[in-house]
Amino acid sequence: MNALTPFLDNLNALAGGLFLLCAFGMVATRQARGCLNWFILQSLLLAASAFLLGWLHHSVHLFGVALVNVVAKPVIVPWILRRTAPAEIYTRREIDQALNIPTSLLIALALVIFAFFLAQPLAAAVGPDFRGPNVPIGIAGLLLGAYTLTVRREAVPLIMGLLAMENGAFLTGIALARDLPMLVELAIATDGLIIVVIVGVLTRAVEQHVGTTAVGELASLRESAAETTGREGAE
Amino acid sequence: MLRAIAFNLLQMFVVLAFSPLAAGVLARMKERVQARRGPSILQPYRDLWKLFHKDQVLSEQASWIFRFTPYVVFVAPLFVTLLIPVLTDYPLFFAFMGDMLGGGFVLALAGFFATLAAVDTGNPYGPVGASRTRMVGFLAEPVFMIVFFTVSFVAGSTIPSIVQQKWVTPPANFYAPSHLLLLLAFLMLILAEGGRIPVDNPTGHFELAMIDESKSLEYSGRGFALMKWGGYMKLMVLLCIYLNVLVTPWGLAQGRTLAAVLLAIPLVLLKILLFLLVLVGIESSLAKLRLFRITEFLGAAFITCVTAMITSLLNF
Amino acid sequence: MSVLIILLLPLLAAVLACVRGHRLWAPVVTVAANLAGLTLAVRLVWATAAGHSATAVMNFGLWRWIAVDGLSALVLLLVAFVGATASIYSAGYMAHGDLKPEKLRLYYANYNLFIFSMLAIPVLAEPTLVWIVVELTTLCSALLVSFDNTRAALEAAWKYVVLSLMGAGVALFGFLVLFAAMQATGGGVYTWGGLVTAAPAMPPVLLRTAFVLILIGLGTKVGLVPMHTWLPDAHSQAPSPVCALLSGVETTAVLYVILRLLPVMQAAPGLRAGTWAMALGLASAGTAAFLLLQVRDYKRLFAFSTVEHMGIILFAAGLGGAGGSQGAVMQMLSHSVTKSFCFFAAGAALLTLGTRQIASVRGLFRSSPAAGAALLFGALAIGGAPPFAVFLSEFSIIRSGLVQHRYLATLLLVLFITVAFFGIMRHVNRMVFGRPEAGARGSLAAPVPLPFTCRLALLLSAVPVLVFGVWMPDSLHALLRQAAQTLVSP
Repeated sequence: MNALTPFLDNLNALAGGLFLLCAFGMVATRQARGCLNWFILQSLLLAASAFLLGWLHHSVHLFGVALVNVVAKPVIVPWILRRTAPAEIYTRREIDQALNIPTSLLIALALVIFAFFLAQPLAAAVGPDFRGPNVPIGIAGLLLGAYTLTVRREAVPLIMGLLAMENGAFLTGIALARDLPMLVELAIATDGLIIVVIVGVLTRAVEQHVGTTAVGELASLRESAAETTGREGAE
Repeated sequence: MLRAIAFNLLQMFVVLAFSPLAAGVLARMKERVQARRGPSILQPYRDLWKLFHKDQVLSEQASWIFRFTPYVVFVAPLFVTLLIPVLTDYPLFFAFMGDMLGGGFVLALAGFFATLAAVDTGNPYGPVGASRTRMVGFLAEPVFMIVFFTVSFVAGSTIPSIVQQKWVTPPANFYAPSHLLLLLAFLMLILAEGGRIPVDNPTGHFELAMIDESKSLEYSGRGFALMKWGGYMKLMVLLCIYLNVLVTPWGLAQGRTLAAVLLAIPLVLLKILLFLLVLVGIESSLAKLRLFRITEFLGAAFITCVTAMITSLLNF
Repeated sequence: MSVLIILLLPLLAAVLACVRGHRLWAPVVTVAANLAGLTLAVRLVWATAAGHSATAVMNFGLWRWIAVDGLSALVLLLVAFVGATASIYSAGYMAHGDLKPEKLRLYYANYNLFIFSMLAIPVLAEPTLVWIVVELTTLCSALLVSFDNTRAALEAAWKYVVLSLMGAGVALFGFLVLFAAMQATGGGVYTWGGLVTAAPAMPPVLLRTAFVLILIGLGTKVGLVPMHTWLPDAHSQAPSPVCALLSGVETTAVLYVILRLLPVMQAAPGLRAGTWAMALGLASAGTAAFLLLQVRDYKRLFAFSTVEHMGIILFAAGLGGAGGSQGAVMQMLSHSVTKSFCFFAAGAALLTLGTRQIASVRGLFRSSPAAGAALLFGALAIGGAPPFAVFLSEFSIIRSGLVQHRYLATLLLVLFITVAFFGIMRHVNRMVFGRPEAGARGSLAAPVPLPFTCRLALLLSAVPVLVFGVWMPDSLHALLRQAAQTLVSP
């Protein structure tokens, strides 16, 4: 196992690097379907990293995490989205975003560098057998997911940003909190699925009653909004 | 020492002789993939022969730059072959004259002259293409810089032959994330600098859409032949850098005998052939990007580079 | 054992409410389940106050993760109480909207799931499980917030979901860092109690990072400034009983999670968690108090008041010491019961008037005495007028602040409370008094009479609001004292 360790370390770092690229891809892509594909790729890379770390540390927990990630996110999330959300959300392209793509990419890059600075004291405090770039890349994934959430206006990229934040937190978690009980991992995965269900249903409701899936543009609730007489209890 | 100079000249000769072949193979494979027969792989040689035997037609308004440029475009890649590892594993006689940055600047010099020449004649399509070439070049330069910096940072040197060693031993280094991300970024760069799809259509004849091809619009006869040959050589030089330093740093001559060096020639050609297959795959499956999307393409390349640099920094 | 039954009852009710049947089946099942849950919760509280831990027998394996101590029992009681009164209120309120039967069943099923998720928060002792349940509360209440399916309601629900889940993502990271800190001390049970014992040995960097992350992440869900932007929208667009739940107990339950961390942070040297909590609490209270002056919708008025009170509770907890913690738990109690009453009153007003705008309401007292009286009563209570419960808790907080020589902070707090009181009273007075204008916007012509269950719920929730201002039963007093003790670091 010792001879393989640098090799596995490098592979884990590669999975981390590609994970970061997927997060960038989610910021930059215009199509809703493309965003979903980047997310699926990101989840698979998370599973790969969990698998490699499990091998390195002989931890069955992490193999379980890898399995859950391979099954739940690439397979079940698109399935749920297809059932709950209206079909047109897949064909949406965001023609104009809040910021144009090169600027977004540069801001995302700045966020990543910021995340790496944040991660230094954490990595130092955790311990000597802490492996690889998981913590900085996880924090960067979290920040990039939050950034996607703020910049995007269409429903599917917003949901993907949310799930990407969880992916980022998870990537950090598998390096930092290796002995988290399996029950908790399973529960977090189920949680992710419930999120998709609920948000899918909400998106469908928005599409039916408001007529658009550009949910980020709903911004009319303010103090000065001309409020109509809202009779409670749906008519 | 004489032997080292001889090997260096042999490298130059290999690039000079085989670059039209590479271009011919690429064109034919692309046509084959599209279920057409395609031209013969020796067609570029016949074209060059024909063009060298034709007269040149020069505009009266053109200045000395117009006549001078084909020579610059022809010589620059040849100059760069002196610096990079084409056949051998170890740095050759002239290799210390310039490092990767120097090579990059020499290629950029050729591009600079080509742009000026395109503007020189007064043809309206020349400046259009020239400005677009500059735009792509301007965006690709930072990517070039970061790629070179990352490569040098990881390997501890800027001489390509020395850099190449870093990824041969120990073998685990090959799988370092910075390396693999650099492969991706450099590939995108080659597509941009070489004028391939998705950045530009090399077989298009529509002047309004040309980016790279427009630089040779006005040339004829010998000038045109030199420009074409220079273009073929530039692509081959980029491929040599890419393949011999980054992708497959093996198969180069390690011994200092003539036999070893001659043996390396077919191996290098094989590597180039395999890569050309990949290139054909990329070109046949993507569509040409709209002009303003090229910034996003190069932005993506930039991000990939920076990610490579960051992951390499993290492992220290 | 009774803890498990308390948790299972709402689940059972949710399943039963989906069964197709008589129109009254779903409300009756919900009310029955919630009342049963309330009874069991009261019994549990009695036992805990007397000193018997309800979960002493369950100290092995998975059951280690369920633990009920003083603070948990208090939050459990609050959730159960508001859940019961709100279910009684919903029975009459939702029947008024002429909804399709499936939609009504959906409402009750969702309602019960929401109650379940909120009941689970104080009961679980493992922080990551608590995080999962907090996320569940967001998810279960999302469809409740958007229930009206108007553009405004959908927008509010969407903002709510996105911001809450974003905060939850950050908080997850914080909990994982906390786990790593726990592991760095060499293992130990990852429960609230285990965290407090292991805290002095944890690396301070990790502890500080975890605290900040969890404060920001869960603070988004509580509505602390500057992450509060979703709260006025969500808490005003939802149907009134849901608003009562959201404002009354959901924010309190999530704040409970943050408060559980305070003794952990204070056990570690040099972290000054108390000062952070006080600063954030003051910021929330101040911003809410000033924002509340210019609302145009009376449900938003009460929503901003929630933000303010969350700030006050956090401030008191940060103040620390016996007095501060006592004030914090007392404020949690008084705020929950009072805020739910306020939203019941607001719902009654909305039912009667048909409009949410403050400007279009005048003379509510004359057109509908019940609604007008309730609104006035609620406004006075939540503003902090004596002799209501909120006055007593705010007074004890201010007093402990002065005793601890934090003069500037306490002065600011008094200022903010006064501004908020002024704001609430100004708006409500304009609505309640005067004479009703003929031809005003909103259908004042034929006011809808308030359903019986709504009145019943109003009455039931008014009792603690009044009573706890002057007297508290001994067991409740003992419970409060136990709860306060868990907040102070050992």
